[in-house]
Amino acid sequence: MLDIRNLTKRFGSFEAVTNVSISAPDGAFLVLLGPSGCGKTTLLRMLAGLELPSAGQIVFDGQTVSDGDRDWSVDPAKRNSGLVFQSYALWPHMSVRGNVEWPLKVMSMPKADRAARVREVLELLDIAPLADRYPNEISGGQQQRVAIARTIAPKPSVLLFDEPLSNLDAKLRVEMRTELMRLHRATGATTVYVTHDQIEAMTMATHVAVMNEGRVQQFGPPADLVDHPATAFVATFVGTPPKNVVPVVRNGAGYRVGGRHMTLSAPADHCLAMFRAENMTLSDREGGMTLPMELVETTAIAGRTMVTGLRDGLRLTAIVDRAPTARIGDTVQFRLPPEPDSWFGPDGERIG
Amino acid sequence: MADTAVSRQGRRVFFRQGTVLKVAVLVILIALIVLPLLRTVLFTLHPDTIQAWADVLSGRLSTNLFYKPLGNTLLIGVVVATGCVLLGGFLAWLVVMTDVPFRKTIGVMATLPFMIPSFAAALAWGALFRNDRVGGQVGWLQGMGLDIPDWLAWGMVPTLIVLTLHYFSLAFTIIAAALATVNSDLVEAAQIAGAKGRRILMGIILPVTTPALVAAGSLCFAGAVSNFATPALLGLPVRMQTLSTRLFGMIEVGQVGRGYVIGILLVLISAAFLWAGNRIVSGRRSYATITGKGGRAKRFDLRGARWPLFAIAMVILLASTVVPVAVLTASSLAPSSANLFSDWTLHYWIGQSNPSFAQGIPGIAYNQDIVRALTITLGLGLAVAFTGMFVGLLASYTTARYRAGWMSAAITQISFLPLLVPGIAFGAAYIAYLGAPIGPFPALYGTFALLVIAATAYLLPFSVQTGRAVIQQVGGELEESARITGAGFARRLAAITVPLAIRGLAAGGILIFVKIVRDLSLVVLLFTPTMPVLSVVAYRYASEGFAQFANAITVVILFISIAATLIASRLQTKSQPWLQN
Repeated sequence: MLDIRNLTKRFGSFEAVTNVSISAPDGAFLVLLGPSGCGKTTLLRMLAGLELPSAGQIVFDGQTVSDGDRDWSVDPAKRNSGLVFQSYALWPHMSVRGNVEWPLKVMSMPKADRAARVREVLELLDIAPLADRYPNEISGGQQQRVAIARTIAPKPSVLLFDEPLSNLDAKLRVEMRTELMRLHRATGATTVYVTHDQIEAMTMATHVAVMNEGRVQQFGPPADLVDHPATAFVATFVGTPPKNVVPVVRNGAGYRVGGRHMTLSAPADHCLAMFRAENMTLSDREGGMTLPMELVETTAIAGRTMVTGLRDGLRLTAIVDRAPTARIGDTVQFRLPPEPDSWFGPDGERIG
Repeated sequence: MADTAVSRQGRRVFFRQGTVLKVAVLVILIALIVLPLLRTVLFTLHPDTIQAWADVLSGRLSTNLFYKPLGNTLLIGVVVATGCVLLGGFLAWLVVMTDVPFRKTIGVMATLPFMIPSFAAALAWGALFRNDRVGGQVGWLQGMGLDIPDWLAWGMVPTLIVLTLHYFSLAFTIIAAALATVNSDLVEAAQIAGAKGRRILMGIILPVTTPALVAAGSLCFAGAVSNFATPALLGLPVRMQTLSTRLFGMIEVGQVGRGYVIGILLVLISAAFLWAGNRIVSGRRSYATITGKGGRAKRFDLRGARWPLFAIAMVILLASTVVPVAVLTASSLAPSSANLFSDWTLHYWIGQSNPSFAQGIPGIAYNQDIVRALTITLGLGLAVAFTGMFVGLLASYTTARYRAGWMSAAITQISFLPLLVPGIAFGAAYIAYLGAPIGPFPALYGTFALLVIAATAYLLPFSVQTGRAVIQQVGGELEESARITGAGFARRLAAITVPLAIRGLAAGGILIFVKIVRDLSLVVLLFTPTMPVLSVVAYRYASEGFAQFANAITVVILFISIAATLIASRLQTKSQPWLQN
């Protein structure tokens, strides 16, 4: 059980993490997802014990390991957790074997056990043949595996990852994703994983916390975030393609929607309407629910076509069966469904 | 959930992370740097000595005490700074931007003059250009029958030339580094836009490198106005005074108050120029040029001017490196500097005492004073290398690890403060600070400890800079990942930090060693007959007319400096086995 209660971290007057409360069961794969600067890495460093919270508690398995209210902290090494750094932080003067073995030496594990455990994790990660190489003699993907092997060798009950795949190329990233999930099943360790890539979050997580500006926007299983986004931020940040959020303002009897007057019933005078890409269509003619947009992108996806239009800073994406005949730069009519999928207030909070 | 069990292994964090370390470092820095300076200022404000301010600034003697030396000092600063930027900039342009022959050789030679102590060049000048104006031996050129005029033998002109030939390599290093960041793309983009040679130089290269030019100029200015050895050796015999020689003279004759006032004014002048230079540079937007793709595709084609420009560069470089070293070596072997290259003898090196030779002074190998000075100098160099790297590493680690807060900012500012203080003024401050007993602590004047403490403080900007480079190599996640395994501080140090940092530390230590071994301006006031150091002994011999001994000692200093520098650069460039690809 990993329990984070009302956690806050301030650097001087700047609040990096604000009142975060999350709780995940043993064996969970928790992903902290958000844009850069949202406080997710600070949160992870507090979990690792590298930073002391300004307020709030962190509890691993019923044991408080950090308490910002009482300035209490358990040493990073004594939390039974392991951290994989974004830069891997492999010690350049030690061989692959040396890197994996050193933490065990520090734990004063007997020599024979140590050798056995090193062999075991190197084989688990498929890097046994590289044992005597130095970090600069192996590829980035292999370095990543060494960093993971080093972290799991002492069998931590909580595994922490700080954007571990961001330095790898696209193909390797997909492979390592699968590898990490296999590893998660094999070790059973509760895992906390920081990323800005929502695809990684959606594919790997059992629980996702979407963060923005230091706050948790929504916490739940991945499918929930896609099906029931709690805020407009989550709606636009999560999902492939992301959902469309259009500002709606009362205009006489009807409403002004993305620059055109439409007749629909909105719950408030100022609000945001969310439309899923799969519910949008393209139209040949102007109609009651159409918006003229400049065509900026078309992408073929699994037999269908993703079409993106842009006008006055508003970006709309539709998934349609047939590619439009218009060319990039032409004006096309995006047709909105009669009822939006969700409503959000002007502050981004869900309405109704 | 109710209050959970508080973990067995937790501990209370009494202070914010790093507070203890920051306080400790700040206390050390204040004791080393702030207190001596403060105590000097307070000394001059004491009712008994406050009169010194009036004497220096407005009294009957003020013209001779202050204003004439000030004029000389400013003239030296301006001319030398201008000359250095021109010479250094010219050489940097040749090496970095053009296809001049032997570019690499020029580049290496241009960094050498700064490694030769400025008193070596001044002594060499004397051996060549001395005339009979102040008596004693004449130089080689006079001995050859040439009539060397006074203005070329003594005073302002030789001082300007010697200092320019010394400091230009500082300007070269800075400007060359800046030019090297001017990506060839920038120049090629200008060429495609239709600009030609002069237009590219004025429109692209100069504006991009202006910050470096200003920085080089202000550093050379600060160096030149605070230099003691050159004006003392070439100017004092004809009563040309600068602020630093005036300060030295005042303290030597016991007018300590006036000396300190002159020292404070010297600090203010040199600091004002450095600050102004910094202001000009930081007031404008910085042109951080994008790094990444290296390699200069095309060099400026000098065509017919290649060899003539190469010849000019070599004349400058030979005059500032090979000539002084050769002249000093020859002079340490020749009984008369008028005949530098004849009747050579090893007496000044290994001769026994002989009443008919140099007033019975034995060669430096048998001269007890000099051997003792050599031991003390080497001991001082080693001690300062250790203490300097220790404090420097501590300060840079603290500021790198705990960047936030006013204490870190204060640590950075204070550790670079000695840059603004000329060596001789810093020496004077340390006499004011530790020359008399403080509470239970005895006076340290004349002790080895005083030399070590003062030199550590004086070289702190340099050791902090070196420490910072080392920390960057090791720091951050590499150390944190070791912390997470549970390794204690000592264990992390032994297994991770030291193996990774040892070469950088050793190289930094050696460079500090070199700096202190060839320093004259700091130690010239802290020197006592019981605690002699080589550079001061050489200076004394030179001013008493025993040029051969002075030159022989200087050759020894040069030899130690060059050998240590070579070892350091080997350590720095020799790649570590695990970094080889």
